[in-house]
Amino acid sequence: MTIASEVNEKLSALPEASAVAMRLRTEQYFDAIQGMLDLFATDKELEAIYITSTIPSQSIINALEVLEIPLDHIWFVDCISQIMMSATKRHPHAIVVESPTMLENLMLKVEFLLRKNPERKALVILDSINSLAIHNNTKILSEFLHILVNNLRSHAAYTVIFSMQEYETEEIRNMLVLVSDESVELGHEIEAVAD
Amino acid sequence: MPPKEREVTNERERCATGIEGIDHVLNGGIPRGNTVLVAGSVGTGKTSICIEFLVHGALGGENSLYLSVTEPSSKLLKNVIPFDFFDDRLIKQGKLHFVDLPGVYEKLGIEKSEFTFDEIRLLVDTIAALVDQYNVRRFVLDSVTSVSYRLEEPELVRDFLLRLGVVLSSKGCTSLLVSEFTPTGEGYSRLGVEEAIADGVIVTGNLERRGDLLRTLQVVKMRGTSHSRAKYVLDLTTSGVLLVPLLKGGSVQGGG
Repeated sequence: MTIASEVNEKLSALPEASAVAMRLRTEQYFDAIQGMLDLFATDKELEAIYITSTIPSQSIINALEVLEIPLDHIWFVDCISQIMMSATKRHPHAIVVESPTMLENLMLKVEFLLRKNPERKALVILDSINSLAIHNNTKILSEFLHILVNNLRSHAAYTVIFSMQEYETEEIRNMLVLVSDESVELGHEIEAVAD
Repeated sequence: MPPKEREVTNERERCATGIEGIDHVLNGGIPRGNTVLVAGSVGTGKTSICIEFLVHGALGGENSLYLSVTEPSSKLLKNVIPFDFFDDRLIKQGKLHFVDLPGVYEKLGIEKSEFTFDEIRLLVDTIAALVDQYNVRRFVLDSVTSVSYRLEEPELVRDFLLRLGVVLSSKGCTSLLVSEFTPTGEGYSRLGVEEAIADGVIVTGNLERRGDLLRTLQVVKMRGTSHSRAKYVLDLTTSGVLLVPLLKGGSVQGGG
């Protein structure tokens, strides 16, 4: 089974409003994105909101275009492009937050996109907890995740939080245990966090 | 104590602002008939909040009036956020009214730099007449600060606000009065009188945290309801004013 199919299968097994910590290895990154956006979100007819603090949204858009994944139901909250002072053109489906430290604004942009597209359920992908941890201390990041995830639950949205295994710390693992219902490690079975 | 336990049994009727975050903070909306100061420094969203309050009112069948003091309403409407829910038929149908106060001054023959007690009464009576004429249930004065510049003494400001508040409240009109103040100043208005007389005070501001500038909102006073006094971060969007809690970052001053 490909990584993309595995992601789709594991997410499809979860109930609505689930919050999932997806622990990835770097080489699985684009396959996991494809599994979520092309397979899972399409099958479930979800509006995908992709929060990126790792690489600029335009880089992800370029990759999706190469993979011929339509962008009609994919939106980006990009909190890295502005801080990089990059002069690239902005895609109409990308909203920029000035800095990854403006966590409240990040929540506000997600809320805005949920309101703009109320007719479909949402999949919100946070890419990634590791890059947000570069810019924010653990306390504010835990508080942010707690509020974001619970707010998304109230919208019956799926939340997927990327964590790159190579950059995980003990603090990040604890934070993910606190806010997620499930931890998905590709190539392994789903582990129930509550256990 | 949780807000629910503090709620009084004979709840006052609410005027839901239509701004979900603010209605949540106020446990359902502004108690009907209250006169509320919306105070803040420039660029913090005061006018957007007020216009959204009026538009939601008009959409819900409550006639609404915006009394503009400093900026011609034609210019204001060009610069205001194009709300997705705004429908310009509300203006044509007489649900939403914009009136420029300088035009009112001119009609009353009181185009001067300082008002007397009699002129204040005349002004309040004229506003009351407008409220009656348009059957207004929601009213905004933007800004009370600009009016108060013509009222040199705090007693005159007090008289103006007391009279205005009584008149509007007696007509079942829920009102927002915009107050501009500098972030370094004390209080929430030019003379410090307005916040004492108003039934409620909603403060908007700019919070600088590690070089980031966040727009904030806090309800510091609201008669007739229990409410959150926490600080929230707001965003002005085409879907309206959105609020989320200000992150505390482990109680570090100003957040993480």
